Amino acid sequence: MGSPGAAGPVRRGRAALAAAVLLALAAAGCGIPRDPERTLDRVQGGTLRAGITASEPWTTLEGGRPGGVEVELVERFAGELGARVEWVDGSEADLMAALEVRELDLVVGGLTADTPWQAKAAITRSYATTRVVVAVPASQPPPGDIAGMRVAVEAGSDAAGILEDKTDAVPVRVADVTKVKDSPVVVDEWLLDNLGLRDTGVHLRKDKHVMAAPLGENAFLVRLERFLIAHQAEVPALLDAAAGR
Amino acid sequence: MSLHHELPPDKHEQLVKAVRLEWLSIVYLVTAVTLLYFTLGSSQAMKAAWVEDILGLTPPIAFLVASRVRNRKPNDRFPYGYHRATAIAYLCASVALLALGGFILYDSVSKLARFEHPPIDLVKPFGDRPVWLGWLMLGALAYSTVPQVILGRRKQPLAAELNDKVLYADAEMNRADWMTGVAAMLGIVGIGLGLWWADAVAASIISVDIVRDGAKNLRVAVDDLMDKEPTVVDDSRADPLPLWIKNELMLMDWVADAEVRLREEGHVFVGEAFVVPVDDTDLIGRMERANQRLRGLDWRLHELVIAAVREIDRPEPAREP
Repeated sequence: MGSPGAAGPVRRGRAALAAAVLLALAAAGCGIPRDPERTLDRVQGGTLRAGITASEPWTTLEGGRPGGVEVELVERFAGELGARVEWVDGSEADLMAALEVRELDLVVGGLTADTPWQAKAAITRSYATTRVVVAVPASQPPPGDIAGMRVAVEAGSDAAGILEDKTDAVPVRVADVTKVKDSPVVVDEWLLDNLGLRDTGVHLRKDKHVMAAPLGENAFLVRLERFLIAHQAEVPALLDAAAGR
Repeated sequence: MSLHHELPPDKHEQLVKAVRLEWLSIVYLVTAVTLLYFTLGSSQAMKAAWVEDILGLTPPIAFLVASRVRNRKPNDRFPYGYHRATAIAYLCASVALLALGGFILYDSVSKLARFEHPPIDLVKPFGDRPVWLGWLMLGALAYSTVPQVILGRRKQPLAAELNDKVLYADAEMNRADWMTGVAAMLGIVGIGLGLWWADAVAASIISVDIVRDGAKNLRVAVDDLMDKEPTVVDDSRADPLPLWIKNELMLMDWVADAEVRLREEGHVFVGEAFVVPVDDTDLIGRMERANQRLRGLDWRLHELVIAAVREIDRPEPAREP
């Protein structure tokens, strides 16, 4: 078990030294955390290299032009840093690979908090939460139960599968749910008002929306999160703008 | 042959104190483990410190269980009593310590080798003001370190008084915890300063320490289960009690030759004394008186069986010291 207390005074000295170092750091703490690879310094007044993959309404690439809620947010963030955004489009896998080696500074594309890219990228706090809900026309009374009800749902969406497996409703797969009239339908919660629908209280999924930054570039990550926290209240308006288009 | 008094009255107060300290340790460690859990983030060093604190719960639990179980009297199914239960628990805990330490070491070194940069972001624990998680980590580490060192210092003298190796090992682990705390803090501060490798290096250092603790405890547990000769509480040398008993026997005029072997059962010793009597006169009476006298030598001598033999078959000296 070793000899107890043999190096007592030395140990205490070292502990005191460590405490002093910590204290000094705390005093000088304003610049903490810093980036190991200086991403924030480089982006400020320079170029923000942002990766984008289309995922409506968060990101769109109509005619090759980036648009959507997250594009708007990233442009504003770059504006705060006095930076110009250089957009790179590609598949999520390509963009994350580029982010991992810091060839990109940011990736957007409807990413959610349960993204499988956690090991390759620093995932931000979520800045918006959305739900996919079963809705009925606002003119109809809310149903007590959706069992046996025929519900329109976008073909090829995971909501269709969830509706099939986890509820007793009968899914009717359609190409575009926004065109469905006078019928129960599965839509994003933020579309309810625009489409004149009422939430039945049955929620098929909940998504926490996030962005991805390079691993370990903590000053940049913290700056981005501060921006997102300050601007998350604007997200519903941006979503409405995207829906109204 | 034996009375069931395991602790002399004057030691009883120390036992009560030790039990209270160990309960305090458990309550405190649970709070520290919870606090660390909520501030883990993606820091390896935090993970290592967290695991060390979780495993730090085993010695106090082992001690408290032992202090109850050892009062249970032997019965016909367990004629030697329940002392060994603690040794088995201790063996399991040290294997866990070794395995988990090894895992974190591997994890940290491979993260270093892959140049993985740990991300630490903002949290909002107090309403609307976001705080960098690193600051909270430092706070949590301070809370999980300073009280442990103090607890360790208070436990150590009690462990010596009570001749309790579990308590001693616990005190040593607590006392050494400042190293874990400072290493983890330096790792977090390193991340803050943009030194991505600091965290994994700190975690490696901590896990080496966990592995060392595990190996040390494993050796003690195995020695204990194999009935190694009794050692003093810090395990630094053989306990002189067997030799002392032998000398006492040799000094008795009816004893021609004697040999004593003892083993540790928890904090007490049990064993046999073999004596070659000079003649058969009043052998039972002589042995009874000898036993009474020897049992009065030291409170830790819990049970001694004296056997009269014609000749003593002495064990060979061990090859390694």
